Amino acid sequence: MPRTIERTDASATSALESPWVTLVWNDPVNLMSYVSYVFRSYFGYSPAEAERLMLQVHLDGKAVVASGTREEMERHVEAMHDYGLWATLQRSDA
Amino acid sequence: MRRFERQPDGTLRAELDAEEALLLQSLAGQVSDVVASGIALAGAVGAGDSGDEALSDPAVARLLPDAYMDDPEASAEFRRFTVDTLIGRKLRNADVLIRSLDDAAEKGEGVVSLDGEAAQAWLRSLTDIRLTIAARLGIDSEDDDAGREADPMMRDIYDWLGFVQNSLVEALDDSHE
Repeated sequence: MPRTIERTDASATSALESPWVTLVWNDPVNLMSYVSYVFRSYFGYSPAEAERLMLQVHLDGKAVVASGTREEMERHVEAMHDYGLWATLQRSDA
Repeated sequence: MRRFERQPDGTLRAELDAEEALLLQSLAGQVSDVVASGIALAGAVGAGDSGDEALSDPAVARLLPDAYMDDPEASAEFRRFTVDTLIGRKLRNADVLIRSLDDAAEKGEGVVSLDGEAAQAWLRSLTDIRLTIAARLGIDSEDDDAGREADPMMRDIYDWLGFVQNSLVEALDDSHE
């Protein structure tokens, strides 16, 4: 059943592939209320989760706000730059 | 300027005088000039070209930041494909802010009223203005006096812009309740 084998191989490859993450970095300019608002309105996080991520950015200097393919993370980073947030992408194991 | 308040029809409304409207328009226009200078990044392909020159302005570097922390090549590549769009959006946001203030600035109507789309443009434009002022004044901490020595009046304007933006965020949140 070659088709089954093919599918198995494909899913094994994507599982091993390191996913990418979007990081948002702390900056002294953006308001906490605004950062939290962006996390809610763009990523669709609940108010509690958005607040938690915003505080992580604020206190730890950065937070992972999304993970997925490189292309998806590039779209997120571009959107964050549109909002004026300082965001980067990298491999999750980097 | 008073805080933004959500109206029954869903618009976001704030009272402000003509001087404040003119100041906001002027700041947004100046930031547009800074943003536009970043267009050199669209054609930048490597070290030592016009892209580097644009990025030597800390305001440009902050408004159009690296997408990769430790990979200048990937960041330059990312910029080449995205910077046109990003600059276009930022210029449009500033333009929306400026136009929405025309009546308040020219006729002294004393009020600005935003629909949802204009509010989104305002949030982003106010952010770009604050990021640019912070870069100019060297504001690199959350200290209330950071950058004040460089330009006390501009530091006050920066704080005022923060108040305006915060009140807009709160008014937008109010609409979901």
